[in-house]
Amino acid sequence: MTSRIVVTGLGVVSALGIGVRQFWDAALAGRSGVSKLSAFESMPMEAYRSQVAGQIHGFDVGQYIEGASAERVDRFAQLAMVATREALADSALQLDHEDPHRTGVIVGAGMGGMLIAEQEYHRVYEQLKPNRVVPNFIPMVTLNSASGALAIMCGAKGPNLTISTACSSSAHAIGLAREAIRTGRADVVIAAGADASIVPLTFGGFCSLRALSTSFNGFPEKASRPFSRTRDGFVMGEGAGTLVLESLAHARKRNARIYAEVAGYAATSEAHHMVVPREDGLEIAETMAMALRDARVRPAQVDYINAHATSTPIGDVVEIKAIKHLFKRRATEVAINATKSLLGHTLGAAGALAGIVCALTIDRGLIHPTINYDDPDPECALPGISGQAQERSVEVALLNAFGFGSNNASVVFKRFVP
Amino acid sequence: MSTDTDIPLRIRSALAEFLGRDVASIKPGDALRDDLGLDSLATIELLYRIEDAFDVEIPDTDLPSLVTVADVTTYIQRTAVKPPGSPSGTKG
Repeated sequence: MTSRIVVTGLGVVSALGIGVRQFWDAALAGRSGVSKLSAFESMPMEAYRSQVAGQIHGFDVGQYIEGASAERVDRFAQLAMVATREALADSALQLDHEDPHRTGVIVGAGMGGMLIAEQEYHRVYEQLKPNRVVPNFIPMVTLNSASGALAIMCGAKGPNLTISTACSSSAHAIGLAREAIRTGRADVVIAAGADASIVPLTFGGFCSLRALSTSFNGFPEKASRPFSRTRDGFVMGEGAGTLVLESLAHARKRNARIYAEVAGYAATSEAHHMVVPREDGLEIAETMAMALRDARVRPAQVDYINAHATSTPIGDVVEIKAIKHLFKRRATEVAINATKSLLGHTLGAAGALAGIVCALTIDRGLIHPTINYDDPDPECALPGISGQAQERSVEVALLNAFGFGSNNASVVFKRFVP
Repeated sequence: MSTDTDIPLRIRSALAEFLGRDVASIKPGDALRDDLGLDSLATIELLYRIEDAFDVEIPDTDLPSLVTVADVTTYIQRTAVKPPGSPSGTKG
């Protein structure tokens, strides 16, 4: 079994910018990618309880990828294609020199092709012409359309999989990409996450679930405020992130630049409730403990946690409770941030984007701020959470991602030491 | 038009139907969570039905005040019942 797996390429499409550099500079500067929700054509927008979102404005896939292939997939897959193209260029992998059956693609996606889904549902019921459903509807709406599009784009003939566990999807994609390489099924796996479902029905569904922030509709950039006393729900976002993972042996052979090592992973279920976490946080604590054991790292060695922290009243408290339970005194020393304070919650993309943040944090020694942390909730406040960027050498980073369906994931990243 | 007198029974009936229980077993003082066992999602589902039945919209900020059956009843009596001749609030 190949024991060491490394990250050698990164790509981002986000509300803070398209490209890793644009995203990272904005993240360090503490900029918000959240804005007033764009109008859904003739929909009465005032009827939505939440009216803010982390949207990528003006995205045109044709600016990044030539040819018709990208125009024939839904927006979430387009975002994944653009992020993956950047990650591959960043990795300097020459895919035409690779054994295609040793290159895999694993994508995490929570919702799938929701733009085409809503458009065609609406049309078929309104016009009552079922014979006029667009022929490409099924290939666009299926959840695995993004992984299919990436495999075709890359010529990757190894494992081609989609993981759908709601908001933890792409954390599992990273963990399972590592396992695919460790167990010898591939040398290289493109691990990505993507979601783009800020559309009338889906957005309305999250509103009805009372999951979204509603008190900051007039101040969009303030709405995503993890760990703050006045947080009142998450902000829906969209985006994609891609990490190129490969075996250390493979990376060494081609003298690749290494961001970090993916050292541990845990996947658990709380077997508790479809949308509410266990309030004692014990299952989250156990998930983090399992991932650390897998990485052969003690809690006291963890320097940084990229928290799931969606800005919901219950979720943030439970995660901090879990961190305090597992890390004991170390909980007051470890640096913690919430990438969702910047982007809102990108659902299936969130784990991959958090993984990219972990890799960059280890590589650069900089921890992006948790914005809107100006009125800390006493139940969440820890010294390592800051509204400012922190300079800190990070040897071990822990990523948390939790999803509807009682689903938890943790991934451990380590500084690569030859 | 809903009247003050039928609102409490309609809300208890809605709860009984939602929970699959006898309406007599649901008391005004019962807490939705601690006595009736509604978790946060179930509470939202119930309130969605009540919003529909009484043609009201309950903003997120009012949810924390709705702890007991009586709290919901009082809230609906205050927000749903309109003076005679009112054009809205008459559904159901």
